[in-house]
Amino acid sequence: MPYHLFKCSECIPEREKHAVIKGPGEDLTSALPLGYLNTIPGSISERGCAYCGAKHVIGTPMKDVIHISHGPVGCTYDTWQTKRYISDNDNFQLKYTFATDMKEKHIVFGAEAILRKNIREAFEAFPNIKRMTIYQTCASALIGDDIDAVANEYMEEHPDVDIFVCNSPGFRGPSQSGGHHTINIAWMNQKVGTVEPEITSDYVINYVGEYNIQGDQEVMQDYFKRMGIQILSTFTGNGSYDGLRAMHRAHLNVLECARSAEYICNELRARYNIPRLDIDGFGFEPLGNSLRKVGMFFGIEDRAQEIIDTETARWRPELDWYAARLKGKKVCLWPGGSKLWHWAHVIHEEMGVEVVSVYTKFGHQGDMEKGISRCEEGALAIDDPNELEGLEAMEMLQPDVIFTGKRPGEVAKKIRVPYLNAHAYHNGPWKGFEGWVRFARDIYDAIYSPVHQLSKLDISKDEIPGNAGFVTKQMLSDADLSDEIRNDPNLREYTGKYSIIEDLQAKTYPEFPRSCHEVAV
Amino acid sequence: MASVATTDIVAYMENYIMKNCLWQFHSRAWDRLRQNEKIIGITSQLLCGEEVDLSTPEQKCYWIDSVILAENYKKNVPALADMSVEEIKDVMTQLKDRIDYLTVNGSLNLELTDKHY
Repeated sequence: MPYHLFKCSECIPEREKHAVIKGPGEDLTSALPLGYLNTIPGSISERGCAYCGAKHVIGTPMKDVIHISHGPVGCTYDTWQTKRYISDNDNFQLKYTFATDMKEKHIVFGAEAILRKNIREAFEAFPNIKRMTIYQTCASALIGDDIDAVANEYMEEHPDVDIFVCNSPGFRGPSQSGGHHTINIAWMNQKVGTVEPEITSDYVINYVGEYNIQGDQEVMQDYFKRMGIQILSTFTGNGSYDGLRAMHRAHLNVLECARSAEYICNELRARYNIPRLDIDGFGFEPLGNSLRKVGMFFGIEDRAQEIIDTETARWRPELDWYAARLKGKKVCLWPGGSKLWHWAHVIHEEMGVEVVSVYTKFGHQGDMEKGISRCEEGALAIDDPNELEGLEAMEMLQPDVIFTGKRPGEVAKKIRVPYLNAHAYHNGPWKGFEGWVRFARDIYDAIYSPVHQLSKLDISKDEIPGNAGFVTKQMLSDADLSDEIRNDPNLREYTGKYSIIEDLQAKTYPEFPRSCHEVAV
Repeated sequence: MASVATTDIVAYMENYIMKNCLWQFHSRAWDRLRQNEKIIGITSQLLCGEEVDLSTPEQKCYWIDSVILAENYKKNVPALADMSVEEIKDVMTQLKDRIDYLTVNGSLNLELTDKHY
């Protein structure tokens, strides 16, 4: 087994089995790190907790809901500044964040009264919002507050209100992934099947494991609408609370992030006989195949093909412009979970970069199986890395750019490695055909930024090139390109808008004739 | 067909699945075995020109992934066109055994035998 023990972790020898280097001829039966285990004491993990996974990853992207943490105010810090799961209702769920602000006295005397008060005040402050989710935290779990009882009491007094309670305190699992699981099953048990939707198409899907990061969901929704498909619910980015209560009426579950949301798909399959179709929304070929797959399920593959042809013709020349300039650049692909396998192969194939390392903070071994099988030989795969291991890996691999979260990303900057925010993106959306070009553009900007080049100089010892003159990104990127590529009239830089979401939100769609009308029962 | 060529064909097919597909990585051993059997089985039927059962939504989902697979194999493994039905089925059986080994029987994934999802 090609395990890799970092020098900085020699004092924590258990860490050895959490990193492997995929050597020549090795496959998953010989190269797979441990995963989804409790963080080893002494290793300063970058993981989030199970509460964070339930609330900040899955619960909060629901758009028409008051999301309230029953715990200390610090637990709810993730809001506009750290999360970018936008919505088409003026980002209500991002603009307002709620917590019961538990203090020491509540730990001693109980916090149900303050929860009751907070629920009432929140609904009074936003009288048009009638839906709420409440999240248990470590503090309220340890003192045993009965959140369900408080919520039920309020709902009895206010019949137009519906409240979902998620009991996923921070300690409920090794990482945020434990919270993903808990909220999937809790939503299934408590809410699915409690609303009957209006069916407006012959083709009805749940779009699952999609969180509308900088508008990803709205990009994909555009494709589905152009195909005449009704998205009954999105779990959960830009999704509505009542839409998600009606998931049981879809014909197909289209699953994007299996790490965070396969549980609800599996339950919907077992309880309601709705099949699960895994897709990849990133990259021209995987996305094209994904749209075709959904089209094939409903017998409307021609509609998918039309979108693929149109979008490819529009955006391929721009993707290829960047690919020519990114070829051979070394990338550390260090996201939280699913993007390590969504991107590992396709950024190599379609942008020409070399993935020299993959890591996952909260992924399971299943995610590593997907990631390792998709990346090339020699890649270093790390489970639940700590900051020192990240630094040592960057020193060893000398990447041109890393894709990771903002905390390890800022660490990378300190050693002059540029980073892109893999969780919340830089200038997204990155999903969809145009989105994929925006991602390539962001990689290009990160690697070739003249300011970044300057930052590599150490003014205490390096000679400062005072006579070098003005430098642009393209002067740097094109220096070693052949004339043929540099002057290729078929390639061009990104020509899209600064923001592409407003146009999508204003768009109207053709009505497709229906062959039959389904009556909700 | 020479055995070397068959080995190469299976290796190509395996590599395509492991690099491009997601269906083989469902979370439990029983789930993976079912996926492998259904999708590789239907792919084999498609490559052999046999009729496929599309009577349930679940069958349709297996068929969809099989169509993508069969399209790629037909395009990138021209030798398939010269093979008999028995030879194709033999290749696909070897492929299924290999994918079962990589994802289940030889897998190091400790969660595969968890009785819950």
